[in-house]
Amino acid sequence: MIRREFLGAMATAAGGLKNRRSSYRIGCGCDLAPAAALPPGSDVFKDVGSKLRITNMKVFGITLDEKIARSDRPYVFVKLETNQGVVGWGEATLEGKASAAMACVNDLHDFIVGSDPMQSEHLYQLMYIGSFYRGGPVLGSAISGIDQAIWDIRGKVLGRPVYELLGGPIDARGVRGYYHAQAWTLDAARELGEQTREAGVTALKFQLPTYMEWIETNAKLTRAVKSMETIREGLGPDIDFAVDFHAKPSPSVAAILVREIEPFHLLFAEEVCPPENVRAMQRVAKRSTTPLATGERLIAAYGFNDLIELGVVDVLQPDIAHVGGITALWKVAALADAAGIRMAPHACEGPIGGVASLHVDAAIPNFLCQEICGAVQSKEINSVWEDIMGFPAMRMVDGRYPLPKKPGLGFEIQEAVLKKYPFQGTRPFPPAFHADGSLAAQ
Amino acid sequence: MKHWRGEVAFAPPAAADDGLAIANLRAWRLCEPISKRRYTVVKLETRSGTAGFGEGGPAVATDVAEAKSAVTGRRATDAEFIRHQLAAWPAMEAAVNNAMLDLAARAASVPIYQYLGGPTRFKARVVADVEGEDESALARSVERGMEQGFRAFSFPIPTRDAMWRMQAYTDAIRKRLEKLKGAAGAEADFVLDANAMLTPGDASFIATALERNHLLWFDEPTGVLTNDALSRISDESVTPVGLGRKVHDVATFQNLLRWGCVDILRPSMGLNSIRQIRRMAAVAETHYVAVGPHHSGGPIGTVAAVHLAASLPNFFAQQVPRPTAEQDRAMRAELTSGNQETAVDGFAQLLNRPGLGIEVNEKALAKYSEETL
Repeated sequence: MIRREFLGAMATAAGGLKNRRSSYRIGCGCDLAPAAALPPGSDVFKDVGSKLRITNMKVFGITLDEKIARSDRPYVFVKLETNQGVVGWGEATLEGKASAAMACVNDLHDFIVGSDPMQSEHLYQLMYIGSFYRGGPVLGSAISGIDQAIWDIRGKVLGRPVYELLGGPIDARGVRGYYHAQAWTLDAARELGEQTREAGVTALKFQLPTYMEWIETNAKLTRAVKSMETIREGLGPDIDFAVDFHAKPSPSVAAILVREIEPFHLLFAEEVCPPENVRAMQRVAKRSTTPLATGERLIAAYGFNDLIELGVVDVLQPDIAHVGGITALWKVAALADAAGIRMAPHACEGPIGGVASLHVDAAIPNFLCQEICGAVQSKEINSVWEDIMGFPAMRMVDGRYPLPKKPGLGFEIQEAVLKKYPFQGTRPFPPAFHADGSLAAQ
Repeated sequence: MKHWRGEVAFAPPAAADDGLAIANLRAWRLCEPISKRRYTVVKLETRSGTAGFGEGGPAVATDVAEAKSAVTGRRATDAEFIRHQLAAWPAMEAAVNNAMLDLAARAASVPIYQYLGGPTRFKARVVADVEGEDESALARSVERGMEQGFRAFSFPIPTRDAMWRMQAYTDAIRKRLEKLKGAAGAEADFVLDANAMLTPGDASFIATALERNHLLWFDEPTGVLTNDALSRISDESVTPVGLGRKVHDVATFQNLLRWGCVDILRPSMGLNSIRQIRRMAAVAETHYVAVGPHHSGGPIGTVAAVHLAASLPNFFAQQVPRPTAEQDRAMRAELTSGNQETAVDGFAQLLNRPGLGIEVNEKALAKYSEETL
């Protein structure tokens, strides 16, 4: 099918698509008559928009076997269908809240079905501002899934990979990535270093060895610092490594740790304390040269503004499945670029979000490194991803994730394949407890 | 300056067989016959023979040479590369990056605003420049603007007589505003353009005095773009302040926004590409601040600005230059094969055609060119 058929005179006129928008206005006290463009999808854009219309929105929950994927995060995929046959895919996976994210995607149905998918910005605004209750991870993830699918459609219709629409690629060879790793002993770290070098991978990320209380003992502080010393010694000087503190320490404890690990030259320390209080994190940042990263739990560009403008962190890590999709990830990157902050987008979802991230990564000049929940050694989950996506998604070649070459996000998914992994409901993010039974932060 | 790139390492240029690879750049340094307004139009040609046009501010031959060496062999989609490579030549960054966007959108058979993720609106509010030597000429300019469909006007602040006290000066400004309001009728809105001529203290005095006149905004009240100077205006007055016609980096706006010094961002179309202003707009959005690009260039820049407007969520209004002299107006209409700088009830219409959506008249470019490069 050629593009003219999507957009031009040959397309059948839109209209007659059913939704419930027209019954919106029921006259609560805050309800004003709309000036023009509402209800959404009405024909005020008919002379300036395309003939393409979203005709259907489907949400898929995908549960993998417990032995290969954590039960708190079934994948949530969104599929948009159009009146011209072109479809788009996106991911709205939200740890511990898959059912809520799926329900929220459906809550946005009336904004989306019947609309012109070329209007990605307008629809993003409609979902974010039009929702009245702005932000939050559930709405953020739902918007993310839909926004990615919209960009997938836009790219397919325009005949370009999404990163080209965004002004990239900055490097067509791909984008630098890092894998997750564990090494609690010097021998293990040495062996990991060898495997990593052999695979051509240049960066890894590790975890803290323990949960942390808001003031910590000498034993736990020493153990944490020692764990990072062991990693550096085992990997050698030429492999970058980051450590995910996962918001376990308080700012007071984090300040001690990030100062004492300065000699190990981390790529960054991630979520060194909980993310809600920007000024608390700033206190940590002021007292250390270790680069700090954060951002996976923050929603929309608004959620990042203080962090960026107060110069708190060196690296930002929005997650394309929560922040608001391609649209929001690009905006956060634009804000960060102006302030000299690098981007290392978070990704602990499934393969669609990972691949969608690559498109933004490839087009932003302040890109640093892309995460994925994967390891140097390919695991069973990678076969599942290949089964779903039709190619070895999010596996690095020479330290980089190769860029998709096809238009849109660059893959096709068959619904029949998803049926192999039926939704089994969701479970909460697994909690952790200190020795006295009180809840540990993570 | 050749290798001004910051830390970003860009990949090598496109393969020789790439149809979107840019083979040639041509540039016309234009000058309007009477107003002497200057701007530069760039044409990019691809290896497959397609062409795209972009306009930037005044440039000299060496600027064009830099642009040509940067863009030749690159793909029309390599926008970030050009934005970085030409950061030290803002007029060329604007012209070349916009021409690339024209090419890329044409190749995809969609208007620029659609290529960028729009439309966010189906028409774009415009603010017409008011030109004239004295109060009567200014009033005639407003009357003509109303007839042409404009409903908002940007008028110049009177030149201050050295003998005037501030109160007398403020009265003169108010008198001019009243005269123009009389010429326009009740429905028109106004922007007061101080053209960076006031001290921050005087600007603050005027901004406070005119609060109840509900100007759309007070434009470029001072040339002192420091936080301290601008805070004198924004702390003392609630008149919205427009700023930034000389700014061509995102970080400067980010800083002014952070300090609450600006109510409408006014990056110039002559110094910033569409893509660069989109980045500025993303920053402004998080401060609930609108964007209304400054424009003192030609008609191709105006058309590009309307595409930008239709791609932004936080656009408010686009400035449109309106020369008084018939020869200047004729030149602008000739360049774009017909006058594209029109308004209906205060709004410009979007051009739902591929790329910029206009035909650029190369004969007219040659006719009005001071130098063709």
